[in-house]
Amino acid sequence: MKLIRSLIPALLVAALAGPVVAAVVSESAALAVLASDAGLKEKARACQELGDFGGPKSVAPLAALLNTEHLADYARSGLEGIKDPSAGAALRKALPTLEGRYLAGVVNSLGVRRDTAAVSELQKLALDPKRGVAEEAIASLGMIANRDATKTLQKVLSSGPAELRVPAAHAAIMASALVAKEGNASVARELLESVAKALPKSHLAKVAQEQIAALKKKPGK
Amino acid sequence: MPTIIPSSALGLDGKVAPSNRIVVGGIGIGPRGREVLKHFLSQADVQFVVIADVQETRREVVRVMANRQYNNQDCAKTRDMYEVLARPDIDAVLIATGDRWHALLSMLAAKAGKDIYCEKPCSMTVRESQELADTTNRYGRVFQSGTQRRNVDNFQFAAELARSGKLGKIHTVHAGILPLQESHKWLAAETEPARELVDWDRWLGPAPWRPFNKDYINGRWRGYYDFHGGAALPEWGAHTVDLCQWGASADHTTPISYEADGQTIYGKYANGVKLVMRLSGFKGEGSWVVPGTCPVRFEGDEGWVEAADTGKIAVSSPKLLAGGAPKEMHGTDPSKHVRDFLNCVKSRGKPACNADVTRRGHIISHVASIGWRLGRKVEFDPVTETFVNDADANRMCSRARRAPWHA
Repeated sequence: MKLIRSLIPALLVAALAGPVVAAVVSESAALAVLASDAGLKEKARACQELGDFGGPKSVAPLAALLNTEHLADYARSGLEGIKDPSAGAALRKALPTLEGRYLAGVVNSLGVRRDTAAVSELQKLALDPKRGVAEEAIASLGMIANRDATKTLQKVLSSGPAELRVPAAHAAIMASALVAKEGNASVARELLESVAKALPKSHLAKVAQEQIAALKKKPGK
Repeated sequence: MPTIIPSSALGLDGKVAPSNRIVVGGIGIGPRGREVLKHFLSQADVQFVVIADVQETRREVVRVMANRQYNNQDCAKTRDMYEVLARPDIDAVLIATGDRWHALLSMLAAKAGKDIYCEKPCSMTVRESQELADTTNRYGRVFQSGTQRRNVDNFQFAAELARSGKLGKIHTVHAGILPLQESHKWLAAETEPARELVDWDRWLGPAPWRPFNKDYINGRWRGYYDFHGGAALPEWGAHTVDLCQWGASADHTTPISYEADGQTIYGKYANGVKLVMRLSGFKGEGSWVVPGTCPVRFEGDEGWVEAADTGKIAVSSPKLLAGGAPKEMHGTDPSKHVRDFLNCVKSRGKPACNADVTRRGHIISHVASIGWRLGRKVEFDPVTETFVNDADANRMCSRARRAPWHA
């Protein structure tokens, strides 16, 4: 019986009718699907394919879907994959036009892309509760982790709203790891000290102290 | 009236006092999760207190299971996994959702200060494998992936033969895998059940949206690109590639090149050792000496050993079994693995399949599958964990998460 149970995933995978591998299609073919009256499934897949091999000319068609129900996240998957700066620009441009999950998703994508040009907009969103994505903006600032981003995190930790201090602490811990990896141990330490000071009774203070101790063992600037 | 304190509360009669118990919550516990949960519930030093699942039927089954074990009605249930993570009394979580949630929930649990036992595959992508290990390490959490074969006797025996030099110099390790495939089909849309019965939005979580179909929630989500990372290679690769890493004494690194030939992928480590990922005899394909799922084979210049889920072992020479064959323990049995995790929760040590071991084992499966998707040889740098001069492959190392789910 156990053997049969253990085989269930294998049976399910093997029984699944479907193509063995994704068909290799071209950027122009995927763009043609987006421009057509194809169904949701086909357009969703085209967005994913453009994330794998799309270039600058895919940016505008993908950006046009950032507020389209059920396709917005697929469009982001396309844009996250396109390294050309125009993809970041399109995501930033969409920020003022979006709300709710659509906005949260774009904020997250800018963080994943470590888009330093988005920092000023993310700072505003982090400090504007009306837009409803302060936590997401703070998380993205932690992923970007340039000097302006880390200053904002420290500001939130020292004087921001109480409900944002835990998200800011997580973002600061993430940012400290990134800046330490880039060789800037002093900024990393500052961030961790801000966490320990802001939330002294939290388990995050202990995490911060342990990370500070780890930094002392490593050479850095 | 005198106050009556039960002996269990004082740690008498062989019971563990509540203050010494590890308080555990479960997230996404289906059939496999319940098999693992059984081994948590049977531990005297574990108190399982809450189940979070997006399906009411599964919540209720687990709640009854826990209450029957403890002979009380104390196990709570919720649709919202974030409630479990927010509970300060919980020390550790058992995560057994579908793959799409594994890494994200593990990271959220680590950030919430919980230790984590997470079913495999633990990641959908190379990037998630990295993020998962980095986060759990950064937050100082104990992490054990549900790749329990490192704690199953015959696999341990086989790895020990390889690692101890009894097979001579290891030159090739073989990992059984499932057929490589990824489907982009959507099943026909069905009416979504009420959210209290099945929360489809949360079931999808960070995976891309698609319409509801009951087949997905009944376990038939495997093989679909959106739900099953790495073209199904990590399904068994999470176990078998992991065991090969162990047998090859390669837990600190990964192969540097990967080349697919049909359904077989050949990896090569920097020291020349070959990793062969090949079909497992399922549906008559491939051939292995030992019957059973998840087979592995380690070959050295003086001998070889093979092991699989039946608990059996085969060796090139009877001399290799001079000390006696290992006990036959089924490969899916997580009892020792669960205990290993719980011991480490107490000691703050590293379990057998800790975050670093899991990181590399999973990365190899994902990298191999990317090479297979591209249909050509790929080269990978184990230090930077990126493909070498290969922008196309590097683009396939991550996927966007559906909003609003993020780490």
